[in-house]
This record gives sequence, structure tokens and C-alpha cells, in this order.
Amino acid sequence: MLNIPGQPGQTCEGPTRRELMRIGSLGLAGLHLPGFFLSQKAALANKVAEKYAGARGFGNAKNVIMIFLQGGPSHIDIWDPKPDAPDNIRGQFKPIKTKIPGTWIGEHMPMMANALDKVTLIRSMSYTPNGLFNHTAAIYQMLTGYPPDKVSPSGQLEPPNAADFPTAGSHISKLIPLKEPVLPFVELPRPLQESGIIGKGGAAGFLGKAYDPYRMYQDPAGKVTLEDLSLRKDMPPDRLKERFELLKGINQSMPELEKALNASAVDEYYGKAYDLVLSGKARDAMDLTKETAKVRERYGDHTFGQSVLMSRRLIEAGTKFVQVNWPSVANGDPEKTAWDTHAANFGPLKNLHCPKLDRSLSALLEDMDARGMLKETMVIAIGEFGLSPRMGVSTSGNSNSPDGRDHWPYCYSAVVAGAGIGRGVQYGESDATASSPKEKPVHPNDLLATMYYALGIDPDMEIRNHLNQPRELVKGKIVTGLFA
Amino acid sequence: MRLAPLLVSLSIAAVWAAEAPVTFLRDVAPILNKVGCTSGPCHGAAKGKNGFKLSLRGYDPQFDYEALLYDLNGRRFNRAEPARSLMLSKPAQEVPHGGGLRLEKDSAYYRIIENWIAQGVPFGDPAKDAVASLEVEPKEIAMPQPGQSAQVKVTARFLDGQTRNVTGEATVESNTPDLARIEEGSKVKGERTGEATLLVRYQGKLTTIPVTILNPKPGFVWSKPAAYNYIVTLIDAKLEKVRIQPSPPADDATFLRRVGLDLTGQLPTPDEARAFLADPAPTKLKRTKWIDHLIGSPAFVDHWTTKWGDLLQSSRKYLGEKGTYGFREWIRASVAGNKPYDKMTRELLTSRGSSYDDPAANYFRVTRDPKPTMEKTTQVFLGVRMVCAQCHDHPFEKWTQNQYYQMAAFFSAVGLRPGYEVGEEILFDLRAGDDARNEMKHPKDSRLVPPEFLIASAHPVKIPSPQKRRDAFAEWLTSKENPFFAKAVANRVWSYFFGYGIIDPVDDIRASNPPVNPALLDALTKDLVDHNFDLQSLMRTIVSSRAYQSSYVTNEWNEKDATNFSHAMPRRLSAEPLMDAVASAAGARPRFPEVPLDTGADQLPDPHVGKDGFLDLFGRPSRESACECERRADLSLPQALNLVNGSTISDAVADPKGRVARAILAGKTEPALVEDLYLAALSRFPTKAESERAVEYLTGGPRAARAQDLLWALLNSKAFLYVY
Repeated sequence: MLNIPGQPGQTCEGPTRRELMRIGSLGLAGLHLPGFFLSQKAALANKVAEKYAGARGFGNAKNVIMIFLQGGPSHIDIWDPKPDAPDNIRGQFKPIKTKIPGTWIGEHMPMMANALDKVTLIRSMSYTPNGLFNHTAAIYQMLTGYPPDKVSPSGQLEPPNAADFPTAGSHISKLIPLKEPVLPFVELPRPLQESGIIGKGGAAGFLGKAYDPYRMYQDPAGKVTLEDLSLRKDMPPDRLKERFELLKGINQSMPELEKALNASAVDEYYGKAYDLVLSGKARDAMDLTKETAKVRERYGDHTFGQSVLMSRRLIEAGTKFVQVNWPSVANGDPEKTAWDTHAANFGPLKNLHCPKLDRSLSALLEDMDARGMLKETMVIAIGEFGLSPRMGVSTSGNSNSPDGRDHWPYCYSAVVAGAGIGRGVQYGESDATASSPKEKPVHPNDLLATMYYALGIDPDMEIRNHLNQPRELVKGKIVTGLFA
Repeated sequence: MRLAPLLVSLSIAAVWAAEAPVTFLRDVAPILNKVGCTSGPCHGAAKGKNGFKLSLRGYDPQFDYEALLYDLNGRRFNRAEPARSLMLSKPAQEVPHGGGLRLEKDSAYYRIIENWIAQGVPFGDPAKDAVASLEVEPKEIAMPQPGQSAQVKVTARFLDGQTRNVTGEATVESNTPDLARIEEGSKVKGERTGEATLLVRYQGKLTTIPVTILNPKPGFVWSKPAAYNYIVTLIDAKLEKVRIQPSPPADDATFLRRVGLDLTGQLPTPDEARAFLADPAPTKLKRTKWIDHLIGSPAFVDHWTTKWGDLLQSSRKYLGEKGTYGFREWIRASVAGNKPYDKMTRELLTSRGSSYDDPAANYFRVTRDPKPTMEKTTQVFLGVRMVCAQCHDHPFEKWTQNQYYQMAAFFSAVGLRPGYEVGEEILFDLRAGDDARNEMKHPKDSRLVPPEFLIASAHPVKIPSPQKRRDAFAEWLTSKENPFFAKAVANRVWSYFFGYGIIDPVDDIRASNPPVNPALLDALTKDLVDHNFDLQSLMRTIVSSRAYQSSYVTNEWNEKDATNFSHAMPRRLSAEPLMDAVASAAGARPRFPEVPLDTGADQLPDPHVGKDGFLDLFGRPSRESACECERRADLSLPQALNLVNGSTISDAVADPKGRVARAILAGKTEPALVEDLYLAALSRFPTKAESERAVEYLTGGPRAARAQDLLWALLNSKAFLYVY
């Protein structure tokens, strides 16, 4: 019988539920991990620990919540107001004081102003994109750490494919072993999207589909059915195990078909499905009815707010990486809460976007802090870029309204918290018009490198792509200055 | 002050003019593209950059020339001292330039522009200085093994007959960079075995170079397999050339299962499987008989009605409930009667009157406005995506922005008004002189754009008054001479039987997406036209070919091939056939809300029925667009969870009136029960070993529960989930 070294063995009552699960996933998925491989992995971990021994912030994080504000929130209106800038830049909103002395933010973020004592506000995110900077290309850059290699002249990318660089959550779900039978990587409430391109930059790419995020495709603010995550009443665990043994035999009797489907990850999915239904933990984590009405209301009675709440529950259950995408399509209609506000800016931000983001993000930070979860969980809230400080100019080829702001990756803001990240700190500063960093620029790759480092992963580590060519996990500098 | 230098400049210009003439069209515009001035992030952006706009990738040289000449009151040029022109000092960064250094001072490009200014910035003669064609050398690249390199040489032929080596200015891209990598601008390096296409672009012209990198393994001997029809002859010609040995034909059980699922979306019943496998007739004969039995059968009609419902977006979201049923019945009657494809298309496009009386009119109720109607029509019936051309000329495809509006203008007279009954709409055409608010206007100058065909046909079709525009469009579209119409549908139909098109994606046909086997596509197209657009006949020809009937088991020469149809490739059952297969294998009656009991998944009217359930999880199209990409056939964790633990399979195997329950009540012996379940789920007999193991399992515990377990395992096996 298979056993993982260092884990408790059989009890006198026969195999435990957890044992059964382990047998299931390892046996079926063909993931027979020989001892020497495990020890190699352990040796590597030791080496990394040695390399960063004593370094500030290394290995502080156990998991990550990525609040990905697809569409590109206007940083000058939300996080980085410039009251002294000229009319065509300043905008309509007034700055308000925050818990960080000397740091003011936009007036429609009052709850976050009060919660900034728990976070570091980065005001010097900056990168220069490769080629056209449509949303999808920028999202790909942000989440994979690599610019897309194939931007067509029209700026439209291809749909996700097996040669793509993996998204951060996929790397993490592969590199950090799960201790609990939960979903390693969950994406809420729906995939990333620009026009018809769905999920680019948000999938496992060359790591293989087994590391794709679990996508719920349901609205957490509505009634969520999770029949796939809980074991049926008429199915005792032993019977499910027998069924899987039968299934294994049937598959093995057609070896040529197994070979033809080698790349399709069917076994990996079945292994994971087996583990998950036996434990029921993932289902409980996604059951928001277990929260009080007061808590649900505090997070905001809308898709985004309830997704953020669900992300906290998933992290509590042991999920490694939860990505909450802003629920509107990146280049959608700003009047329907897409962040891409180049055709209408102040009205939608004031009435739609900011109140939702303000309420939900502040709720998450306060709640996690109260529960002590910020010790080991890193929270990042960021978009694929900010928006141009000057109004009514076209930076991406879009047509804009006079008050609209267009794509601006050269300088924008991010909120980072937890896992030893500074509390109540502003990091970096933008120039007088919030259009380029005045000091301490942070490239998105630097932020990714810092996140991996916080999780105890060496950002310089070598990965192998679909052609088995060596690549770096991410080409970025660790921003140790972000850690307290 | 300004007069004197101007006079001097004339004499300097005269000196320069003695040298080779330099024109904007022939010499300067390519440099602006090469150094990036016209790129999307720079001056090619829709609104330009810092007040200076050029057309995206230089698609409109006239516009660019005028922008350079007349913007800034012509201050970009200093004809007396060309080197002090902004046109040079900006990109050479002698004065601040937001776009950085683009031209090294005194470089060859710099000199050309300097020269051009000195000669008085001539535009050139569009009848002489524009590019007529591109010639590339070599025309085809074949490498005997990976690791080799080849240099591409690009020569432009101008309209005056002159030629020029433009290798340095042309753009060379690979459609598969990890197979054929471009180095140093125009060199191609072979990285691994397989095929790729290089796209070579220069001044609005595009040409392609096929690259083949052969498998260097020794010992390839072409053994000519049997050909059933012309399809295989054309596939084999290619395979032999690229050193790929095709797989032999699949066995009868595999064929039976595959052809049933592909033609009808349904599994054969155990009785059908028994009869077919026992039939001693020669293989080819009995397979032909079975194909004839399937084509046109009720299940065939259901299956292709669903397919066309997807493409024509038959959905109550747009059409209301009654409208959806009406449209679906119209589609169904067309499929059942094997209406010629050109006729069906004409009926859709020329429909008029009440959406209840002429359900084909629903075609226009889905998209409603001229532009989306045109985009959908070109994508579905021509396989061409026009959407990029709405905002700008396609930078290197041949469709222009003007053509986008010309094509949309065919639909600008279409009107819809409420009918007499609830949900009814009347489709009509505006007359000349009616409200012209829908007429297409060019976004650049708001001039009225009259309709014009994308490609002139051999027999010119006259474009009549607004009221008859759609008729003229339909006549042009469905003409046998239209080079796209038949080809697009032949390619599309082909893809349904192989999982990928000869051009793929099937609805993105363009010069830079060439067919993998042009001779094959041409032959299929001709076949379809010769048979008067009889789609059933085309399907019969395809499924009768050895290529379609080949095994999924590969050999050492074709195991890496995924584009040349040298072996079958397993495809996951798509949503509706998968759900129907579960029901039929388990002997459970399909139950959907709002439709009669026993209505199968492939018989549902639209995606409203059974929304958010099993079907959507497994990739049923939501019919939000006419894109073939809406249907997904991947596998994911949520799908695995549903198959393992969801109600669809679990309830079906435990159905109290299902196959297992009936067999137990009938007192079937274990071996008979096992055989029955294998035939029902996998359309084949169990092997002796499989049978023995299964019988042993059945006798090891409560029989009914154990038989359910066996059926559950069969329905979760790869042999069930995939068509192979």
C-alpha cells in the first residue's frame, strides 16, 4: 500500500478516510511518487530555505487572496488623488484623509481610508507593455509574469492554449503541496475576459489542465448548488473506492486509448474529484449560508462582495490561492461596473464601482485581521493597469469621452497586506500628475516575485515549458522593502 | 526671411533630384512601418500620439502622407536643410521625442528620408510606386531535420514592373514560433518536427511560406494503404511527402460507435451493435449500408438541427418562446428535407413578413442591426471575420474599412416592426427615399457608403434599389462562383468529423491562415458544388473515406501528427451527445423541464431548457454568438466532479426502471448482464478478461448494487467519455 513518508500510517480500525483519499488520488492519477523524488523535492526546499535564510518576509505566507480588478481601475480617482494637478487631470473627486498619516485617497473610498492601517498602499506600480496594451495582453503580463509572445496587429490575443505561461495560481497549486483535501486554486466568480477571449492569462498553460483553477460559474450572491462537491448520501466511502477500482481496470484494459489521451489530464481530474468528494471540506467552504447575515451584509450584498467573503472561507479551509476577479468583463460597459472607464468615468466610479470595492475590500481586511488570518495570508488587490491621468486622450486606440481615462500601465496603485507586509505604510510615490513613479517603481514581475518569495518559493527557480525548455518562474526583483 | 531659403532649396533639390528619385509610397512609407512610427502604441493609435496620427501599420499611405505634409502647417519639413526637418530630428532624437530614438542619424534609412525631403517630398505615382506583389525565396521550406536554418529573401514587385529586395523592411512572422522560430528578422530556424506557416508582409501585401521539418528518423518506407475515394488520395499525397504513415482502418466496433456519434449524436443500441458486429458482409459494404441507414434518420435530423440552431443562434433570448420553436421547426424541416445549402441560405437572407408565417425571418431578429447582421453573415456563410475592419483597414488582410461598411449596407434597409400577435415581428425593407437613418456612413468622413460586394464575382450581380438589396446579396453570396461560400461550409462540415478543419479555426478564413491541405479543400469544395450543395452527400463522402475510418492507434511515424488527418484523434463527447449517451446506456428516460418526457438533449429547442446544468457544464453553446468556438469539448475538474458525484450518472445507473434494474428483474446471468452493459456503454463485447473480472465483481456482493457500480465505472471510463 502506498504511504507518504512522514505521514501517520494505518490505524487499527483499517484505513482512515484520509488514507483512502490518498490511495485514490495517487493510484488513479498514476502519480506514484517514489521516495527519492520526494527527498529531492525536500532537498530543493532546504536549499531555497538556506538561500533566503533570515531574509525578511521569506516563507511568511501560506496562501494568497488575489483580488484582481480586471478592466483597470483609475488610480488617480481611487488611490492616488492629485488635488493640485490641472483641471484636465485632477478629476471631480476630492481627497480624504486615511489611517496612513499624510496619505490621502479618493473620497469615494471612506471605509478603505479607515482600513489602510492594515495594508501597504503601493503607488508606484509601473511597466511598459510589449506591443499593444489591450486588457488581455496586460492581464497575461500581470498574472503570468511574461509578456504575451503573440500579439496580433489588431491587438486581439488568441484564446488560452497549452503553450501559455501558467498563471500565478497554477504555479502555486503545483509548487505547494496541499495539506487538506480542498480545491488548491479557486477562481471566483467567473474567469477573466475581454470580448470573446476568456481566461487568457488565467489558466495553467504548459503546466497542464490539471492545474487550472476551479471555476464555480455561479454567483456567490445567489443560490449556489454544490452537488459535485459533496458525497452523495447513498454512497459510503468504501463503495466509491470500489467503483474507482473498477474504473481503473476498465481504463487499463484499453492501453492505446490511454496513450492517445495521455495529454488530456483525465486521470488527474478524476484523482482530485475523488479526494474532494470524500472530504466535503470544499463544499463547506463555499457554503455562505454558514455565515451570519450581518457578516454577509458587511461584505456587500452583490456578486463581488460575496465572492470576497467566499475567498476568506476557502483560505480558512486550506485553499492555496483564491483569485476573485472583478465580475464585469474587462472591456465591458462602465455603466455596468466595468473598470474600463474610458467612455464614462466619474459617474460610474462614484455610484457603482467605488462603493462596492470600498465595502468589500475593507470588510475582508478587517475580518481577516480580527481572525488573525493576515499573519499567514497575503492579500493583493490590483488591476492589469491604471488609467491615464489626463482625461479624454486615447492611449490604447480606444475612443474616449471627454472625462474618460484610457489604459495606463506606466504608473498605478496596488493594495497589499498580510504575511508580514507593512501595516499602515505607503510604498513608492508617483509624480505630480500620477503618470509615472517618482521613486521606488514596482514592476508587476517584482510583485509576483515578492509573492512567491513570501510563500517560500524561489522566484528564480527554473521551470520547464511544454517543450521542456528551461525558463525562470518570473524575472523580477523581490521587493523586501514591502515587508515590515 | 522665409523666401530666401526656399529659393536656395530649389537648387539643392535640383542637385538631389539628379540622384535616384525617392517617393513616399515606394521608399519612405516602408521605413515608417519598419521603425515603428505607424505601430498601434505609437502614431498608429486610433487617435494618434501627441497630436500626430498615422494609419495603423501604414494601411493608408495617402492619409499618412497628408498628415506629414499638412499637419502643423507643413512645419515638419525644412527643404533647405533637410537634416533640420522635424521629420528627421524627432526620430533621431535631436529634439525630444516621446517615442525615443527611432532613426540613427546618418543611417541608411535616415539618408533616404533626407534625400526624399531634398527632392521635395514627392508622394509618388500610385499606378507605379505601389507594391503589386511580393515574391519570396524560397517559396517552400523543407528541412530534413530540426536544428537547421534558412534565410528568407523578400522581393517586392512594383506596379511599374521594377523590383526591389525588401528583406530588411518586410515583416516575417511564424504562426508556430516554437516549431519554426524567426531569428534576425528574416531567418527561420527549425525547432522541432512538424509544419508551420511563415507570414511575410510588406506594404499591405501578404504572402505565406509553408515550412516542413521532417522527422529525421531513418527507416521510413511509404506503404501505400488502400484508398476508398479521392479524399484519401489527396491526404496520402501530403503524408508521403512529409514522411507520415497513416494508421490502418479502425475495427468494426470502433467505426460503429464513431460514425453513430458523429452523424447522429447517438450511441448504437446493444441490438444494433450485435447485429452489425455479427454481419458477415465485406467491411466496406456493411459500413456503406450503415452510413446510408444513419444519414437522414430521425436522430441525424435532430443532431444537425441542433448544430444549425447554434450557428443561427436560435434562442428565446432573442426570439421569444414561440419564435424559437418556429425557427427551430424551419431549421428542422430544412435538414430533414436535405434542402440544398445554397437554397437554405437564400431563404434565410431573403425572408420577409411575419416571423410567425416565415420563420426564416428570425435570422434578422437575432442581430437586428445592419453591422452585427453583416458580421454574423460573413462569419457563418463565408468563414470570414470582418469585425476588425469596422474600426480600421485590416493591417494586412485584404478587407478594408470601406468594405466593412459596403457589406453592412446590404442590410441597412432591413426594418422590423411589431406584428399583430404577441411576440410577432414583421420583417420588411425600406424603400428608396424612406428614412435613410440606417444607411451606412463611413466613420472617417461620414460619407454615405453604398452597398458593394466583398469580392466581384465572375458574373456581376447588379445591386438594385434598397428594397431588393438582400436579394442581390443572397444571389452573390450563394453563387457557385463565390470562392468562399462553398469552401467555408465544406471546411466546416469536415471539421465536425475530424475535430479540426483543413483551415482551422473554421470560421477564420484569411490569407494568413492557410489550409493544411489546399488540394483536399478544393476537391471537397468542388464536390459540394458539383452536387448542388447537397450537404448529406458531402457527409457521406467524408465518412466513407479511409481517413475518417482510420484507427486512433498511431505508429512511430504519425503519433505526433495532429493536422494531417493521418489517424483519428479522440474527442470528448460534446454536451448533448454525452448526456444522451448516459441516458441510452443506462436505459433511463431523459427528463427535462418544460418539454415532454423522453425529449433527448439533442432534441431541445434552445439553451434555455436545462440551463446551468450538466449541458452547460460540458460546453453547450449559449448561442450568444455565431462563433464555432462557443462549443467547448475540454475536460475540467468541475466536469470530473459532476461525472463522479453529480446526479446525472449516479441517478441514471440507479434508475429503478433502468437497464440494470430490468436485467436483474429478468434474472439475467452475470456474463449476459456484463455483455449487455459493455455493449450499451462502449458498443463492443467485453474481452474475456474483462468479462471474467466483471463477473467476479458481480458475484462478490449484492448483485443489483454491484451491477450499478459496474455501469457507473463504464460510464466514467475514457472509452465512454470520448469518441475515438
